Amino acid sequence: MGSFGLTVLLDGISYGMILFLISVGLTVTMGLMRVVNLAHGAFAMIGGYVAGYLTQRGCNFYLAALAAAAAAAALGAVTERTIYRPLYRKGELAQVLLTIGFVFVATGAVTEIFGAFPYPVVFPPYLTRPLDIGFRQYPAYRLFLIASGAAIALLLWLVLDNSLYGARLRAAVDNPRMARAVGINVSLLFTSTFTVGCGLAGLGGALGAGILSLEPAYALKYVVLFLVVVIVGGEGSFEGSFVAAMALGIIDTLGKYFVAEAAPYLLYTAVFALLLWRPKGLVPPRSLA
Amino acid sequence: MGRLFAIITSATVLLWADRAPADVAKVGLLADFTGAFATWGPQFREGVEAYQALHGKTVKGLDDKLHEIQFIYRDTASQGPDKARQLAQELVLHDHVRFLCGLDLSPHAMALADISKEAKVPVVIMNAATSSITRMSPYFVRVSQTVPQDVAPLGPWAAAHDIKRVYTIVSDYAPGYDAEAYFIKTFKAAGGTIVGSARTPQQETNFSAYMERVREAKPDALYMFQPAGSPSVAFVKAYVERGLKAAGIKLLGGGETQELFLPNFTDDIVGTVTSFHYTETNTRPANLELRAQVKKMFGDKAVPDIATLAAWDGTRLIQEAVAALGGDAEGLQYVDFMKGKKFDSPRGPVEIDPVERDIIQNVYIRRVEERDGRLVNIDIDEVKMVKDPWKIDHPPQAN
Repeated sequence: MGSFGLTVLLDGISYGMILFLISVGLTVTMGLMRVVNLAHGAFAMIGGYVAGYLTQRGCNFYLAALAAAAAAAALGAVTERTIYRPLYRKGELAQVLLTIGFVFVATGAVTEIFGAFPYPVVFPPYLTRPLDIGFRQYPAYRLFLIASGAAIALLLWLVLDNSLYGARLRAAVDNPRMARAVGINVSLLFTSTFTVGCGLAGLGGALGAGILSLEPAYALKYVVLFLVVVIVGGEGSFEGSFVAAMALGIIDTLGKYFVAEAAPYLLYTAVFALLLWRPKGLVPPRSLA
Repeated sequence: MGRLFAIITSATVLLWADRAPADVAKVGLLADFTGAFATWGPQFREGVEAYQALHGKTVKGLDDKLHEIQFIYRDTASQGPDKARQLAQELVLHDHVRFLCGLDLSPHAMALADISKEAKVPVVIMNAATSSITRMSPYFVRVSQTVPQDVAPLGPWAAAHDIKRVYTIVSDYAPGYDAEAYFIKTFKAAGGTIVGSARTPQQETNFSAYMERVREAKPDALYMFQPAGSPSVAFVKAYVERGLKAAGIKLLGGGETQELFLPNFTDDIVGTVTSFHYTETNTRPANLELRAQVKKMFGDKAVPDIATLAAWDGTRLIQEAVAALGGDAEGLQYVDFMKGKKFDSPRGPVEIDPVERDIIQNVYIRRVEERDGRLVNIDIDEVKMVKDPWKIDHPPQAN
């Protein structure tokens, strides 16, 4: 039973890490810029397809993952300046309509270029085999997800908590008007943060392709999960996204194990309960707390 | 002036085109060419075009007249049964089609039951695999397969090949329930034991927890029925990652390993045993003919699948019916002609059930193997002329 508990925990955490990697960018757009960005999953999808395209042609997996992050970030920078910027002052309905439109365009483009079938990312052979971790054989890929997710979370935490950039970003999330008043270039901060967020989504799309498999419907299929992570965690809260992603990953895995038939409902029931308990999210940013 | 001229010219052309020669028999093909199920339409069309390119689209009738069989393609756009019904009405009322065909999804076929009866138009079903469909209209003829037909032979085969305990995991939708029911029923009847069963959400891709339960149950084999695409790929991946394959638990399935989908898997899938009505590597002359023709017309990347071959066989039935009865026969006369028809399909010998108007065909037990660096299905056994078992379990009720 002990070993089984550990297995479920590892499964839940590795799943949660992917959710966190992809969602952390979304928490920025929704918390910092107040843009309901339903197209966030499209950036993860595009990153994943870039990694898939490169690895299928023999490119090193890690280089391909970096290229995926770079491609998604570049696309993020361009779209922030051209598509998202005019949206900041528009109402939420306009934001929802435009970003969902972007999802359909991305889905259509991916179908046209890569076809309607699932598109595999080729992982290095040692990641696709089970690994002996003492008490049992466990997929090396999942351990890799946990390690890379934890490394990136740590890096994000260091930057956000200890750098001037992080201080500015936190200031802008907590009170954008005051941040402007004290001379922070919020506009530049938006572009750079949006770019990084999209890059992380692209990276998550590439690394996580072994669990959230790539297909044209990706952008629409998983965006609900990403939104749930952001809302449960608290809009604009990095710690919140992390806690929420872990919690949802573990709840989902436990549900599938113990009450397989009810698992899809269990996840959303848990979300419902968490939001009743903490309507502003598990770890809301100070401006909302 | 130029514009007026253009209008007059195009109107003339339209009138001219509309006055089609009397010996054109139109056939309306309904399928999803766009949207979530967009893979079906083009496969049907390739099957029709390949058949007509090889065998001609004009047949000489017993009446000594020439009849041209003209297909009209309509896109149901993955929008469901209402769209199928609306397009079928247009094809019948406006285009005066003599036959309807295509129909990838069961709800689309069911939506045409009333129209086919009112307009007396035969409907040749080229996929839609729910057993009960052919009972819904006397104008329905099916040339594809049913889910129980493909699944039922696997249970006895497993029981006869050292597989005594099986865990089943199926996708949570109607075809999944059919597959689960018929695998369990036939496997138990042959002396096997089911040690556990689970149903997974239709679009599931995270199977780790399910695989843990299978691992603990220690069955001889795991039976899967998953939609081809992300779910089936993720399923096999989890099966290997969780060490089930290494533990010697065999993997059984059905349509997941079709040639069209095999490139999505890694060699993890090697050794998987499935039961299905078409194996791409069979060397029957009809199969070689179909494959050569499709590759010649649509390039090396074109992969003929069950949709291509059902369209190929369906086109053949329609053209033979017109050749025998001319272009103006009653709908039921065409259906009667098709009943009991036996022929060599690229999949193997088939017969149209004279009572049920459903296909009777061999079901093949195949194993996935690697040949020349490619994954392929290889026949290891076959069950001859399988009739849809659901029909046997549910005899027609006397009116």
